This record gives sequence, structure tokens and C-alpha cells, in this order.
Amino acid sequence: FRFKDSLAEDLQGADLVISHAGAGSCLETLEKGKPLIVVINDKLMDNHQLELARQLHRDGYVLYCDCSTLVETLQSMDLPALKPFPPGQPEKFASFLDKVFGLQ
Amino acid sequence: TGGHTTEILRLLSCLSESYSPRHYVLADSDKMSEAKIRSFEQKRAETFSKSQFSLDRIPRSREVRQSWISSVLTTLYSILYSLPLTYKRKPDLILCNGPGTCVPVCLSAFLLGLLRIKRTIIVYVESICRVETLSLSGKILYYFSDYFIVQWPDLKKKYPKSVYLGRIV
Repeated sequence: FRFKDSLAEDLQGADLVISHAGAGSCLETLEKGKPLIVVINDKLMDNHQLELARQLHRDGYVLYCDCSTLVETLQSMDLPALKPFPPGQPEKFASFLDKVFGLQ
Repeated sequence: TGGHTTEILRLLSCLSESYSPRHYVLADSDKMSEAKIRSFEQKRAETFSKSQFSLDRIPRSREVRQSWISSVLTTLYSILYSLPLTYKRKPDLILCNGPGTCVPVCLSAFLLGLLRIKRTIIVYVESICRVETLSLSGKILYYFSDYFIVQWPDLKKKYPKSVYLGRIV
């Protein structure tokens, strides 16, 4: 398929996800606790998309490669070594705003 | 737009009903965000029955990779367009996270502040995608916002006036 409104169902049923470096795709996959290989496409991408993928890789949450090294990565991947991705904490933001407005 | 909307709705998820009514401002070309917002607000209304919100649209201030000069002109046009909206709503707080759409809204509120018509607190949260560099909206609003929040430590080092709370979406 080309576009779906939501990949949530497909993600839920997957054992491994291979994705481009779009933030939405990466984060949604990580939040569902699925192992992720991010494939970088230099020609298509905005430089800044790489930042998040790179950081996630540095922190040990995802595997990372480009189109030419994908096969190699699939052959040598060590999925259990990937760290679980902790969820973001919007409550910290709410707390911060409440302090700003004296609501605490 | 898509990613920004998802992030901002997450930011809103833990806010109390003191932050009400909520006025959402979208780019006229944005087709997907309205549905997400309505869905969020509908769920919210299940818990907080008096919950109120509205949706407004403004012309998109800049297309991706639009040239510098034409961006300045289209942004100026968007600021003028936003002024009556900001004047009408006179928000106490503007919360934004980076789409080009937010720049004219914030600048129009900043202007109304300078003119002593309404003092709005501008809170900018840079997207989680921004680890090492700021978006163009961020670079501009760093100077106009009251609180500038970043989600990665590298940015806090580069932009010392920013606030770092860790990952909040």
C-alpha cells in the first residue's frame, strides 16, 4: 500500500520494522516496543531528519544503515541488544507551565 | 502539519482545564490536523464536560525550501492576516512547536504586546526531531518567546536561554 491513515495495526503485528528516518515512523515504532532498523536515504532527505535517527542509534535504541548496507545489517543484526525506549513525559511540561502561571 | 500536530497534542495531554478554551490555529493547506484535533478534543470532553475549543485557519507562511525573499513577503502577509485573529482571541498563552504557521501568530502577539494591547506569554517547544540544530521557526522565536523549550541536551548547551525538561512528547 502507499498510504494508510494509521500504521498502528501493522506495527502491532510486526516482529521487525525497517523504516526511513522520519521522526513519526521512528517514534511510533519505538513506542510500540518493536525493533527498528532505520534506513537513511541521502538523496531524498532533509539533513535534519538524520539528527534524530543518529541520536536514537547513539543511545542504542535503533539499528541504522543506508540502502546499500541493508542486507548486511539484516544478516548481522543483534536485536536483543537494542535498548527499550522510555516514553516521553508530558507531565513534566504540564508541571512547568503550571509553575509559570502560578497554578501549583 | 502532521508531526507537529501529534507532538503538540501530546504536550496538551497532561494540561488541566485551567488551559481553556483552546484555540487551534492551522495552515489553510493542512488537511490532516483538523481530524486529529477534533478527536483529541472529543476524548477530552468525555472527562471535562465544559471543555471548549475552536479552530482557525491562516494562509501558510512559507513552503518548504521557499526562497528567502519570497518567504519574508509571505510571512509578512501572514502576520498581517494573524493580527486580527490574535487581537480577537487575546490569548494569555500561545503554545507552539515549530511549523512555519506559528511564526506569524507569535510575532503578531509579540506586536500586540509591544503596543500594550495584550501581553501574551509565548511558549515554544522545539520538536523532538531537533537534536543538534534548531528549526528555522525555532531560530526566529528563540528571541521572541518567553520560554523556549528544547528536548535534547545538546541544544540546551548551544542555546543557553532555553529550558531543558528532557523528552516531553
